[in-house]
Amino acid sequence: MTRIIRYYLRFALATLCILLAQTSMAGTPVIELRIKDHLFFPETLEIPADTKVKLLVINEDPTPEEFESYELNREKVIPGNRKTVIFIGPLPQGEYPFFGEFYPKTAQGKVVVTP
Amino acid sequence: MFLNSVVLILQEILEAALLVSVLMVFSRLDERRPYWLLTALSAGFAGSLLLSLNMANVSEWFDYVGQEVVNASMQYAITLLLALFAFSMSGDRSPGRQRLVTICMVASVAFSLTRESAEVFIYIEGVLSQPSHLQPTLTGAGIGAGIGISVGILLYYSLFWLPRCWITSCCLLLLALIAGNMSSQATLLLTQADWLPPTAILWDSGHWLPENSIPGHLLYALVGYEATPSVLQGVAYAAGIILVALMGWLGSRQRHLKRQPLLADRKED
Amino acid sequence: MSSIRLFLIASILAILTLFNFVAALQGYQASLREAEQLFDNQLYQTAKLIANLHTEQIQTPPSPQNNLAYQVWHNNQLIATSAPSLRQPIIELLPGFDHANFNGYRWRTLVFYDDNHNNWIIVAERSDLRYMLAESVITQAVLPILLGIPLAGLLIWLIVSRGLKPLRDLSEQLKNKQANDLTPIAIPDLKSELKQVNHSINALMRRLGSALDREKRFTADAAHELRTPISALKVQLHNLREEVPQGNEAFAQLEAGVERMQHLVEQLLSLYRSTPEEFSHQMTRLNLYELAQEVIANQHHDFEKCNQLLELEGDNCFVEGDPFALTTLLQNLLSNANKYTPPGGQIRVTTEAVGGHICLKVEDSGPGISPTDYSKVFERFQRLSHIKDVAAVQGCGLGLTIVKHIADLHNARTSIAPSSFDTGTAFIILFPRTPDSHD
Repeated sequence: MTRIIRYYLRFALATLCILLAQTSMAGTPVIELRIKDHLFFPETLEIPADTKVKLLVINEDPTPEEFESYELNREKVIPGNRKTVIFIGPLPQGEYPFFGEFYPKTAQGKVVVTP
Repeated sequence: MFLNSVVLILQEILEAALLVSVLMVFSRLDERRPYWLLTALSAGFAGSLLLSLNMANVSEWFDYVGQEVVNASMQYAITLLLALFAFSMSGDRSPGRQRLVTICMVASVAFSLTRESAEVFIYIEGVLSQPSHLQPTLTGAGIGAGIGISVGILLYYSLFWLPRCWITSCCLLLLALIAGNMSSQATLLLTQADWLPPTAILWDSGHWLPENSIPGHLLYALVGYEATPSVLQGVAYAAGIILVALMGWLGSRQRHLKRQPLLADRKED
Repeated sequence: MSSIRLFLIASILAILTLFNFVAALQGYQASLREAEQLFDNQLYQTAKLIANLHTEQIQTPPSPQNNLAYQVWHNNQLIATSAPSLRQPIIELLPGFDHANFNGYRWRTLVFYDDNHNNWIIVAERSDLRYMLAESVITQAVLPILLGIPLAGLLIWLIVSRGLKPLRDLSEQLKNKQANDLTPIAIPDLKSELKQVNHSINALMRRLGSALDREKRFTADAAHELRTPISALKVQLHNLREEVPQGNEAFAQLEAGVERMQHLVEQLLSLYRSTPEEFSHQMTRLNLYELAQEVIANQHHDFEKCNQLLELEGDNCFVEGDPFALTTLLQNLLSNANKYTPPGGQIRVTTEAVGGHICLKVEDSGPGISPTDYSKVFERFQRLSHIKDVAAVQGCGLGLTIVKHIADLHNARTSIAPSSFDTGTAFIILFPRTPDSHD
């Protein structure tokens, strides 16, 4: 009984390792997004369809901001004067608006997924 | 700033209020004094203060995904604690079990508050640096907190309107939903951090019930509604529900097993 | 654990808050939409105004404010702008409203095509400023709703407390009732919801009172009726003694049994007489010390039989009391001490003035009573089981109940404490002090 469990555990661990290796190994494209004066630069991000993208968000304001998108299902706080990483995708073609939850009237942008 | 702060505060308070209300119902059914809540609230407050003050460093951990990892661990911990709670509260009434029940309640509420209020603290801290935004933000925070706490109080009292025999099962069901929600959110965070692989979208109900609407926000906070959940999230949600239900069932079965020999003994007397 | 008041206050306040705040939220959203519309209209008017001005007039910026920007394009040539730095088109030349980021701000833009001059006019207004203006106006309207909630909470608290007052009064009256007070509860201006409760409680009290009365009368009647046959039995026993040989075990048992029965009946009768309803007031000023002397003299042979040392200490103390009842009290206390003290033990009676009281104390060197049993001692037919050979001690368990009754009739307090001997119990009766009780 324990031998079977041990076998399965080893199998699960191996699968997890492969999965993790796959996800971090692939040459994920990096896209930069800057926050300044509670605005996103660039306002529109273009990314290819069905590709995972690493979003490098740099907050140049002294105040924290929260990157939020209902369409992308993403939510992350970026402390003032810091940078962070958000993985998005792979996504089908379309427009995915995002905003800064702390300053939503000014911090607005969208991801445009092109074929 | 007003509406924004309403939504932000409401969501965080509602999630915590739901958990607290359900656990308070259990604690009253158990005739337990509500001191555990005070402990949990102060622990949660301290935890969120600690987390929000160190957020800048935490988010740089693990190659800039520390935030996701820390939050997801807390959410998985809440799921497990709720499962353990369901197991020990449906079991026997030994002092050891009672202590386990208290620990589960205090720890789950403390973790939930740590996560929820850290975001609120960071938000308020940012707003405080801009005095022109202060009044609308605080008004909004008041409105959001008022709605959230009111829903919690009404939920607490309305659970007692149920027939006595249904209260426990209903509360267990709510706990299962909270656990499912937590594990699904944690899974999403790990996907965002690229620790879990991205999976296909399960459904798209964005046209019927957008997440960015008042009912959408309410449902998100209460049962973790998402307009476009991924397959992995669905699996995690179901796993959370099943885990709590299973542990509750195991606990009550164990109690029945223990009770039967007792009855047999009595007959011999 | 759960309180009606807390439930009412919390749930009413929660519902009030929920409805008001959600309504405020809806109002806010509707007002904000209106305001957006208004600002957009204004922007449109500005665009039209700029279109109708001559090129020379627009060369100089019409207002120094920097919350408005504009550009006029003619055949892809910039012919006028609000700021010289704005040389690039603010936004794509597509007619309609939109948003754009420039100069470090987010702007609401309007692109307008002027047919008369074939000009493209772009007007932009700072998004954050117009939003802040609208919001500060609307929040001013929402704020009173928020601030009103604590006030509403205070009023709800006052009203709910006031509404629950009759219930609190009723429970207060019930709490303050003495255990033997079965008079009906009277609450002025009773609320209709509580009428039935009050009525039922009073009916219950009445029934309980008459049941207790019946029980008492039955005991007294039975005891009274039993006296005559017992006296007859004793006479017959006396006669029989001549014919039964000396030392007949059965006869001795019979005599003891009849003696015990007579004692029980007498005790029952004095119990009945010492109830407040039957007690006839013949209070006189009497010397407790002398009374004790008298009772001790009468009962001295009981103590001698057991070889017990009985002493009386103290001074002359005067109390208001009924001589007959107080004699019964002393008799009972002494016979109690006599019964529960082993042969060769010590008994001490003390009468003294202590503070505002006259204290009568009867101490023995018996086995004593554990403090947990103190409250049970004065109950009827209570004989404490921890005392060894309890069955061997004669008694019916009424003596101390009678003591308590008589003490109550004299407004005296009874209490129990360990005695000043190594073991044993002290029964203490504290009489109220009359003026010049102590000579």
